Amino acid sequence: MRILAVPLLAAALGVSLGAGCGPDAPGPSAPGGAVDLKQVMAQRGLTDADVIAAAKTYTPTGKHDEYVILASGGHGGNLVAIGVPSMRILKYVAVFGPEPWQGYGYGGLGDKLLYEDSKQGGKQITWGDVHHPNLSETNGEYDGEFIFVNDKANARIAVVDLKDFTTKQIIANRLVMSDHGGAFVTPNTEYVVETSQYPAPLGGAYAPLSEYKDKYRGAATFWKFDRSRGRIDEAASFAIELPPYSQDLADAGKFDSDGWVFIGSWNTEMSAGTEGKDKPPMESGASQNDMDYLHIIDWKKAEQLVQAGKTTDINGMRVLPLATAAAEGVLTFVGEPKSPHGCDVTPDGKAIVVGGKLDTHATVFEFAKVKELIAKKDFEGRDAYGVPILNFQKALRGQQEIGLGPLHTVFDEKGNAYTSVFLDSTVVKWNYNQIGQPTEALPVHYNIGHITAAEGDSASPDGRYVVAMNKMAQDRHLGVGPLLPQNFQLIDITGPKMELIYDLPIPLGEPHYAQMIKADKLKTIQVYTPAGTDPYTDEVSPHAVAAGGERIERNGNKVDVYMSVIRSHFTPDTIEVNQGDLVTFHLTNLEQAFDQTHGFAVDMYNLNVSLEPGKYERVSFVADRPGVFPLYCTEFCSALHLEMAGYLLVKPRA
Amino acid sequence: MGAAPVHPVEEKSRLVSGPRATWSRSQRWVVLGLALLGAALIAVSYFLPYWHFALFAPQYPKGLNLVISLTGVTGDVQEIDIINHYIGMGHLGEAAKLERQLAAWGIGVAGAAIAVLIVASGRRLGWLATLPAVVLPLGFVLDTFYWMYRFGHELDPMAPITMKPFTPTLFGEGRVGQFRTLATPEWGFWLSLAGFALVVYAVVRRRRVCHACPLHDRCGLVCPKALVGVPGDPGVGGR
Repeated sequence: MRILAVPLLAAALGVSLGAGCGPDAPGPSAPGGAVDLKQVMAQRGLTDADVIAAAKTYTPTGKHDEYVILASGGHGGNLVAIGVPSMRILKYVAVFGPEPWQGYGYGGLGDKLLYEDSKQGGKQITWGDVHHPNLSETNGEYDGEFIFVNDKANARIAVVDLKDFTTKQIIANRLVMSDHGGAFVTPNTEYVVETSQYPAPLGGAYAPLSEYKDKYRGAATFWKFDRSRGRIDEAASFAIELPPYSQDLADAGKFDSDGWVFIGSWNTEMSAGTEGKDKPPMESGASQNDMDYLHIIDWKKAEQLVQAGKTTDINGMRVLPLATAAAEGVLTFVGEPKSPHGCDVTPDGKAIVVGGKLDTHATVFEFAKVKELIAKKDFEGRDAYGVPILNFQKALRGQQEIGLGPLHTVFDEKGNAYTSVFLDSTVVKWNYNQIGQPTEALPVHYNIGHITAAEGDSASPDGRYVVAMNKMAQDRHLGVGPLLPQNFQLIDITGPKMELIYDLPIPLGEPHYAQMIKADKLKTIQVYTPAGTDPYTDEVSPHAVAAGGERIERNGNKVDVYMSVIRSHFTPDTIEVNQGDLVTFHLTNLEQAFDQTHGFAVDMYNLNVSLEPGKYERVSFVADRPGVFPLYCTEFCSALHLEMAGYLLVKPRA
Repeated sequence: MGAAPVHPVEEKSRLVSGPRATWSRSQRWVVLGLALLGAALIAVSYFLPYWHFALFAPQYPKGLNLVISLTGVTGDVQEIDIINHYIGMGHLGEAAKLERQLAAWGIGVAGAAIAVLIVASGRRLGWLATLPAVVLPLGFVLDTFYWMYRFGHELDPMAPITMKPFTPTLFGEGRVGQFRTLATPEWGFWLSLAGFALVVYAVVRRRRVCHACPLHDRCGLVCPKALVGVPGDPGVGGR
């Protein structure tokens, strides 16, 4: 095959390297002037496999990728959009942290989300630890409309609208102190599920560690999503109180298992670390049990109980008490080995795959068995909080030997599962319908955490590509000091064997989970229409101006500047105010041309907003520093971009 | 009213196929139909684009389009205005304002003129009623040229980019700055041109068809005899 492949490929590439030079195109030039593929391969030290991998991923100028990965940016607090198979980064989307390019956090409308809505306990928090982005779904399929992200560090959820790749809402969870199992959506995005990680007293109260078992709790919050508004409806949301185990990744059932949510857990030992005494640290304390509990939640029943008023109010959130959830059959456990990480429902909705981090298996539960056991109340016992526990063997479909440190599992369209195996640094391919068959392991570099596949956790995976999201890069890239990028590796899964075909360093934070959506499902807008549209209301702002309507209104020490922005000038461009005035710029980008973005910055005042075509922005500040401050366009817009400038003149107090 | 003189064409056809009525009923329907069709095409053209300008530059991979109709300018008007302002050119919306307001009237006048033709084209100076139909397509071209000339020659001297006065190319390829322009007539123009041709042809055709008719200088494209028929009149022939 290989021997054949080179001449074939040479012939194919020859079209672009040699024969492609028509009368318009200048002659091709390769390194050293070589035009022959074999020469290029020799010069760059490439193997046949390298060239095939290059041909599978190389995307010439003007051609577009087939898939888009939306990856968590980890403690970058953002999302990363990446094209597949080129693995080119398309955009960072600011979510929990300020971002100057997007004018997010520097005086514009987004400041309300970033600095007000996202406060926790009155504290302003300007970073987030984004873990598990989840796309909105319709009938278990990605619909490309929204993506939800969680902030593990500060228990917040954000809604990003994929129409304009802009964060539209940040909600602070007032119950829990951290989250991890989020954001996961139900098959029609009825709810966005956010599950706590480190137990703490609900609502942010104080209790000493000695009261851990009594006062510390976890919770699964079900945020009601109002799709017509594109926002979470806090008032229609609820939470379920959970025992103080560390709830982990979650997934919603679909088809047969629709109406159920599954959440893995670890630390059923309820270790709080050393507690300042001679107890073992959490890493040991939480790793004593061979089994932890897979949480099985009947959310439709929970919804009924909430509507029947069987909740208590904690910090304004309706919470279904743990005792009620256990007694009414909302919450059931089944054992799962051991300190697991992944918890993934198969595309057909018939099974739940759990990766036992400290176990060598992927454990597959048969949902039909789980459901029957629950219906028959066939429990083998209850935990200390009265939660019924199913018999492990009775709920099992089987266990697949995987390797050391299996974590997260994604799927293709043929019944194959792809599990990330952290300690072995491999991706293992196996079949969830034929458990026990030989598996295939592909080495990845290094210490893979999460894994994603083309629509790989939807109701109909596409196969095609898997991406290993490796925690460590080690020698894969050039040295950039001791803090290294993470390493995403693209794997072609179309052939009989998995093939590693590309490495992408991610240099902005530690990504966790990602989803990969067919690019043509994303219906992004090119401009805000009509001009003056407020991206947070999707309506023309009452403060937007049309050409000719520009003005400056003064009312005492309030100065409102109604400014239009269009190539290559601001109108008005000279604003005189008095020291201490409250100045508000209402900015309307009148442009309606694709990619004709302007910026608006006022020097020395820490102000900068991005004005995409047609966008309305508002910048409000107190002109407390007297002087002469240039204002200018920060996005290179035109040949006279540098001339797109003006002055803010702040007259000193007499 | 004396006997009609024999027209040379009729003479010829008589030699070929024997005596024959030159103003057969079907011929007259054809003449009327052509005029009505011409009027319809002109009316329809009112709703269609007359001219299309495409502008190409590297940063506009899909090009920019400007579509001119009798009622206004559409397409990437704002974008072209923004580009034009750098050379001090006026807003396209300011061009030919009067003409655009008059366009509906112009169509009305052409319609009225065709109505005149239908009843009175045989009369002296009746042919003058074809003028509105002629003026519409040709006047459009001349007027567009006039405005392009004005826009290209009345550039704001304070503009960031100083250009020598110019007239954008009205037909075919041109070049302004980094833009390649391509100007082509559109459906509306072709329909109005066809309408004008049909109306003129109908009038000319009528002269031939009705030449021998004793009423030829009294009536228009619609022939009373064709509609009613006069029993015993040797002039009424055909079907």
